[in-house]
Parts: sequence; structure tokens; C-alpha cells
Amino acid sequence: MSTTQMTGSASVAPSTAPEGERPRKRIALVSRVGRYYLQIAVFVMLVVFCIVVPDFGSTGNLAAVATQASYGGIIACGMTLLIAGGLFDLSVAGVVAIAAVITGLALPHTSIGIAVLIGLATGTLLGWINGLIITKIALPPFIATYGLFNIYTGVAFIILNGNVLTIQSVYFNQIGTAAVFGVPVVFLVFIVACFVSQLLLNRTRFGRRLRAVGSSETAARMAGIPVDRVKIIAFAVTGLFTGLAAIFLAALLSSASGTMATGIELNAITIAVVGGTSLRGGQGTLLGTFTGAVFLVSLNTALNLIGVSSYWQNVAIGLVLVLTLVIGALTRRDKIRGAD
Amino acid sequence: MTTTSIRTAPPSHAQTYLRALGRFSVLPPFVIVAIACIVLAPNFLSSSNVANMLINGSITAIIAYGMTIVIALRGLDLSVGSLQGLSACLTAVAYSVFGTGLGIAAGLAIGLAVGVVNGVLVAYLRVPSFVATLGMLGILRGVALLVTNGQTIQGGSSFLNYVVNGRVVGVPIPFLLALALLGVWLVVFYYTPFGRHVVAVGGSPEAASDSGIRVRRTTVIAFALSGLSAGVGGVLLMGQLSNVTGDLGTGLELQVIAIAVLGGTSLAGGNGNLIGTLVASLLLAMIDSALNLLNVPSFYQYLAIGLLLVAALSLDSVRARVSRRLVQNS
Repeated sequence: MSTTQMTGSASVAPSTAPEGERPRKRIALVSRVGRYYLQIAVFVMLVVFCIVVPDFGSTGNLAAVATQASYGGIIACGMTLLIAGGLFDLSVAGVVAIAAVITGLALPHTSIGIAVLIGLATGTLLGWINGLIITKIALPPFIATYGLFNIYTGVAFIILNGNVLTIQSVYFNQIGTAAVFGVPVVFLVFIVACFVSQLLLNRTRFGRRLRAVGSSETAARMAGIPVDRVKIIAFAVTGLFTGLAAIFLAALLSSASGTMATGIELNAITIAVVGGTSLRGGQGTLLGTFTGAVFLVSLNTALNLIGVSSYWQNVAIGLVLVLTLVIGALTRRDKIRGAD
Repeated sequence: MTTTSIRTAPPSHAQTYLRALGRFSVLPPFVIVAIACIVLAPNFLSSSNVANMLINGSITAIIAYGMTIVIALRGLDLSVGSLQGLSACLTAVAYSVFGTGLGIAAGLAIGLAVGVVNGVLVAYLRVPSFVATLGMLGILRGVALLVTNGQTIQGGSSFLNYVVNGRVVGVPIPFLLALALLGVWLVVFYYTPFGRHVVAVGGSPEAASDSGIRVRRTTVIAFALSGLSAGVGGVLLMGQLSNVTGDLGTGLELQVIAIAVLGGTSLAGGNGNLIGTLVASLLLAMIDSALNLLNVPSFYQYLAIGLLLVAALSLDSVRARVSRRLVQNS
């Protein structure tokens, strides 16, 4: 788990094993196709759903799938960066709440553009605070961000005195349903977020350093990488994405409240992991994160359309997660694993 | 501020002191919160309130013991919240059909079975425990809702009800159970090969494996015990509430992890503080009940738990840093 890396004992954490002495044919094949197996599988699944499931292929439904995939997906972009850096952020549901509440409160007093900027700034600020607390006080990210989630959620509730804030601005609420040539704006933003994160992670010095920190913090520190600064930036970027998701979510719901995004942190982590980002840090795939978000939401929607009880959807998503991981694990060959 | 005074003291004393402080770092917040609650909250010490706190704290503690062991193994078990809910629902359903004995057996059996599945996923299929149990969290919640069909089930086992709400010499039975289980866990953790293996694997899986410890078996047993603990928690919860719903225990997993960490168990693995876990469970139960008695809106509990967690972790981090500096200086 990522927290082990806070202790400096990361150097002993098992990474991928040396190339197997006896590579199996089946596994070699799997890993070759494996590069894009998720994309292929999801594409096939979407085609099958469009043919088999009534109404799945309708423009309205596809737009709904794209919209729903985007909220968790945008946050999952940030989460992918964090996981690649061996970090975690369980506070995002609280950040969404505060960013949405502050945007909602600012709206009657200013223009929509300024209110949106305030929301984004709030998200970034809270992410930056997360990073600051975790690096400067040296707290394990998992449990510290869970504490911060509680604080943020509490603060959002206290600002509103436990009520739900209704957002009256019609124009702001249109952001939630706006579309360009039938493609929901929030989905376009999600795609842009994926591209930006992909470039950040794989084409910039920051990304290279972040991956180094995720692989081995001790080694990164010895190589002279400013570990704390890299981590703080990663948290701030996640905060920015979270603020973005908060604005679209608030616009869609026409409201903001302390519990408006409950559970979105685990949702975002699920998306990233199903997409193929390893919790062991050091790497992340934004194409995977994009596919993961689309995959989970289309599965849910298809089950809905066939009339399967929503209770089964919990089971289905859990099974998908476990199966994806088992497949991923079986194609890996590391010798000894603890429970992390 | 204390740094300088500690540094002038003989290092050995200072180190012992700091180590003791680390071992019982949950005690100062416990005492402070207890005093604050007694002073501020009316009727805080009334026998019914104390009994309620002890029952709530004990049920959480019993689940948190299992989590402590899993964390000592450097794992996490995110399925315990859903598992507690499922176990409570199955107990209620089985009770109404087969009677009390089989009802309890059903609740415990599902806990143990899910725990074994978790362990096999982690140990043999090599899925990281965080995501393996995250998957189980979703699956079990779905099954719990399917079992109850989204309705409230009238469990009402009078025997279980009687036991969970009963007292022996004025002490609630769940608290006695929590103390007894603490004893059992302490023996298991400190005086059996399994306990030493957990610490070894949590400290370094490779070293443990090289020393001949069967890492996989230890992992499966630890997760099985965590599942069983959640099962016990579910049975007790059903006894406490009599009516159960499929969404019982939602969010409990993170709270239980927070309790273990507050109690002094490090997420880095290799150690476990079971006594601290019990104290931290009671601490959270105390905060809950005091805020209730003070008629504070329930959402202030988020703030209280968050601040407590961040403050306790920060103090611990500072303590660790001071301690490290002392070691380097001596």
C-alpha cells in the first residue's frame, strides 16, 4: 500500500519480479494483447450492449452514459496521478462538497465565470492543503486524507447549517446539461482532463519525478528530487480536477450539500484500478482510467435498462473489479507478496 | 517546546518515555475528551448512557481487533462494513426460519467464509488487499440489499436481544465480550507462532518468506479472522437493533481503520496495538454520545472525528521525529 512508502521502508517493497525464468507461452500472448485488452473488451461490450440492450444505443442514453462517467472520471484523472506517485486522496468527496457550496454561495453575488473560478480555486486550495499536511507534518496519506474528508464534509455542513443549498441560477445549471454537437460538455472536459493528465504524467519533468517518487521514495529523495514539492503539486492538481467535477455536479443537481458526492473517492479509485493503474505506484495509464470510467457506467446503465435490480449492480461492479485484478495479477509473475 | 526539555534529559529516559507515549498515544486524547464530556454533557455518566457507549464502542472494537491484525500484516480490509451489515441481515433471516442457534451460526459463518475468500484473493491470486476488499465491499453490500430486498427485517431474536442488552454485575455483556476477546487476541498475537508470523510478514514479506514462514497461510488466516470478527460484530448489531436493513455498517470500514490507527497501529505494518484499538473505539463512542447529549447537529461529528484524527496523527508524527533525533544524537 502507498502508506508504506511514507516510512522509508519502500526500498524493500516488492516491485515487479525479474523476467520469469520460464516464461509461459500463454502469458506472453496475454501480455502482448494485454496492452489494449481492456479497450478492446470495453469496445466489444459497448457494441454488444448497443445491439442487445433495448435503448442502450439511443443518442439520449449514450449521452447519459458519457455524462455519468465524467464526474468520477475527472476525479479519477487526479487519482491516477496520485496513485502513480504512491499517494492517495480519500478527501475528494469533502472537497467536492466545499467547492460546490462555495460556488453556489458566490453565484448570486457575481458572474458565473467568476463563481466557477472561485470553485476551481477552492478545489485547488484544498488539494494544496492536503499535500502540505501530508508532506510537512509527514502523515500517512490514506488515513490523513480520511481525517480531512471528515473535516471538509463537516465544514460544508456547518457552512449550510445542515441544509441543502439550492442553486437558482438557470444559466449556471445549464452547464450540467450543456452539449456540443450532442456531446455533453462535461464529457469533453473529461477527455481534456485525461489528455492533460497523460501529458503531465508522461511528458513532463513533474510527471517523471512523480513516477520516481511512486516507485521508490527513498531512491527519489537520494536522487535529489524535491519529493515534497512533487507531492504537493500532485495533490493540488487533483484538487483542481475535483473542483471541476464539483462545478458540473452542482450544476447537474442544481444544488450543493455536504453529502452530494459521498463515496466518490472509492469510485475514483475503482475507475483508476480497473483501468490498469497499479496501487503499487510508479505508473499510471490515463487511457485506462478513461476506459475504466466508461466501462463501469455502461455496465451499470445496461443492467438498469434490462431491469436488473440496482442491488445486483453493486455485486456486478464488485465482481468486475475483483476479476480485472485477478486477471491482472495472473499475468504478473512476482514471487513473494505480502498483504499490501 | 517539550523538545528542548526532553533533549536535556538523559537520552535513555527520554527514549523510554517517548516510546511509552507512542504505545499509549491514544490515552491523552481519551482522558481529555472524557473529562470534557463529563463536564459539558448533561447525564453523560448516567448508567444508561454509559451502557450505551460501552455497547456501541465494544461492537466496533470487536471488528477493529480483526482490522488491527490485518493492518499489522500490512494489509487493509475494506469489506468489514458491508460484511457486518450482511452478517446482521443473514442472522435476522436465519433466526426467523431456523431459530436463534442457527441464526447466530449463519452470521458467523458468512463472516468466516468471506474472510477466507478475501485471504485467498490476496494471498493466492495476489490481488492487493485494498482493491480486493474494495471489490468485496460492493459485492457484499449488494448481497445484503438483495437478502433484505431493500426492506427492514424484523429480526427480534429475544435471546440475542437479551444478551446484547443484558448486564452482568452492572457491566454490559458486549463490553465483557470485547474484554474477553481482547484477552484472546493478546494471547494469539503475542504468544502464538501465528502472531509472530503476522508481525514478521507485516514487517517484510520477503524476509518472512525467506525465514520459512508460510506467508500465504498466515495471510489467509489473518483475513479469515478479520471476516469472523466482522461476523461477530454483525450478530451483535442485530441483537442490539432487532430490526435490520441492508445498508447497516455503511462506511464502517474507514472508521474502523481510523480507530486502529488512532489506537497506535501503524499502516506501515509490522505492529499492532490491540489495547489501543479498544481505547480508541471507546473514545469515538464517547464523542458520539456526548455530541448527541449536547444536541449538537449530527454533522459536527464529521468535524470532531476529522480533527481528532489529524491532531492525533500529527502528534504521533512529531513524537516519531523527536524520537528519531534522539536516537541519532545518542
